[in-house]
Amino acid sequence: MLTLILKRILMALPVLFLVATLSFCLIRVVPGGPFDADKNLPDEIVANLKAKYNLDKPLPEQYVLYMQRLGRGDLGVSYKYVSRTVNDILLDAFPVSLVLGGLALALAVLVGVPLGAVAALGRGRWQDTLAMFLSTFGISVPGFVIGALFIYIFGIQLRILPVGLWESPWHMILPAITLAFSPAAYLARLTRASALEIVQKDWVRTAQAKGLSGSATVLKHIMRNSLVPVITVLGPLTAILITGSFVVEYIYAIPGMGRFFITAVMNRDYDLILGTTLIFAVLLIMANTFVDIAYQILDPRMRISD
Amino acid sequence: MASQGSFKYVAGRLAKIPQAVLALTLIGLICLVAIASALQLPLSPYAYDQTSTLYLAGPSAQHWMGTDELGRDLCARVIYGAQLSIAIGLTTAGVAFVIGTVYGAIAGYCGGKIDTLMMRGVDLAYSLPDLLVMILIGVLIGRGTFGILLALGLVSWMGTARLTRAQFLQLKNEEFVEAARAQGQDHLSIIWKHLFPNALGPIIVALTFTVPSAILSESTLSFIGLGLSPPACSWGTLASDGWRSLRAHPHLIFFPSLFIFATVLSFNFLGDGLRDALDPRTRLSKLK
Repeated sequence: MLTLILKRILMALPVLFLVATLSFCLIRVVPGGPFDADKNLPDEIVANLKAKYNLDKPLPEQYVLYMQRLGRGDLGVSYKYVSRTVNDILLDAFPVSLVLGGLALALAVLVGVPLGAVAALGRGRWQDTLAMFLSTFGISVPGFVIGALFIYIFGIQLRILPVGLWESPWHMILPAITLAFSPAAYLARLTRASALEIVQKDWVRTAQAKGLSGSATVLKHIMRNSLVPVITVLGPLTAILITGSFVVEYIYAIPGMGRFFITAVMNRDYDLILGTTLIFAVLLIMANTFVDIAYQILDPRMRISD
Repeated sequence: MASQGSFKYVAGRLAKIPQAVLALTLIGLICLVAIASALQLPLSPYAYDQTSTLYLAGPSAQHWMGTDELGRDLCARVIYGAQLSIAIGLTTAGVAFVIGTVYGAIAGYCGGKIDTLMMRGVDLAYSLPDLLVMILIGVLIGRGTFGILLALGLVSWMGTARLTRAQFLQLKNEEFVEAARAQGQDHLSIIWKHLFPNALGPIIVALTFTVPSAILSESTLSFIGLGLSPPACSWGTLASDGWRSLRAHPHLIFFPSLFIFATVLSFNFLGDGLRDALDPRTRLSKLK
């Protein structure tokens, strides 16, 4: 187990290096720089600004400088949020996104998995139809539509919940539900598909044949095994949550990573774009490593091949 | 399986699934309106009504969905948006089909080390969040229709590739393929005439799901201001415009959102229906 984790960490380093290099090239090749939007700046001042941030140096030199700083754990400075470093910004933004994402993930699992299980166990009956309609609804409605609807109903009409910023637990309710919507629907569909496969297995029939009660068969044999794929999609789920956070943080004006990423792209705030992208990459790699480890714990057959 | 007879068979089974029939009808209607309006539009999406105070008006007999802040007819703009959104969805599915099947076919047919290497690449690309990649690509090639299409195509082909590869791996050891090989047919004709037609069913199902996810991605990207920019109008940019006046004029975001939702929902139901229709294990009498 320990060797697996170590191996994964060692493998992650070159991937991160690759991500950093690729995003660096991608962003610098683009026409337009961070100081284009500030109109009427005299040429000398732009030149000074560029010199200050080393943007006047040839690209290979900038790249080496960036990588050296990155090696020391320094993600650079923001050109737009003056006098703030990227580390500083992300240190503030990351916990916000983490709480939001964690709440949404918990909510999605608590709603999605039971919904999928109910659908699978009542296959072809009304429970199935209803649950599948709800989950198809869930994957079909864009996050911004849910967000706008919630804001309109709860914020503008009923005025019972705050619809912006991130100050108290009340502020977290609507964003967390909005963000949980599509992963919950995704999980419900996945749980249903996986439970349907397992219901047909021989050992389920054996369990029933030896006189196990209906609920014991469901809980111990069907659900436990149906959960394996649910845990293994933690990787894609993290990706869905990151994507969702762009929209949700934009709509609810939440100062998280997704929002900083979007404004950074709009402002061509080079170091901030690179910094956020790298953190996202680290998150994804961590999620996938966790999946590999969980696989081994849940499915003993996987251990032999290691 | 891909012969004329099986097409009729699948269509017959699909016709027994009410959600799928309803979805197909709705998609047909939206496409018809989009195509018809491309030829002749009753009201221009750009014409604005300056003669009256008809800007930001709610739905009325004259303007079915109301007007926007410049007095432009929202219904005309939503129909115009349908052209762009549907075109984006279908083109993306086309690109995903071409890249995905070719890539997957090579990996599946060759097998071995080439397969492992190619699939590692897919795994890597698959694990990245679509929107993140699209935004970064958008930064690189600009946010015109072409840029969006390219970005969407580049994030959408991996599922098709995986599926094609899995189908090819399974099929290439079947007896009819061996027979073809024994007859001395070359690789290309084995792939084209024997493997590909038999792998097509699940690939089409996957593509049916590619269309709605492309429509969702485009509208989301446009909504947060990193997708298409005015004067282009897709459902996403219309919703984005409407978002700004949500408090006072909710109809502006309501109608484009409704169309995004209805279209995406229809494609998802159609995909589910196609999958059930193609799966011989499904007993359709039970599905009613």
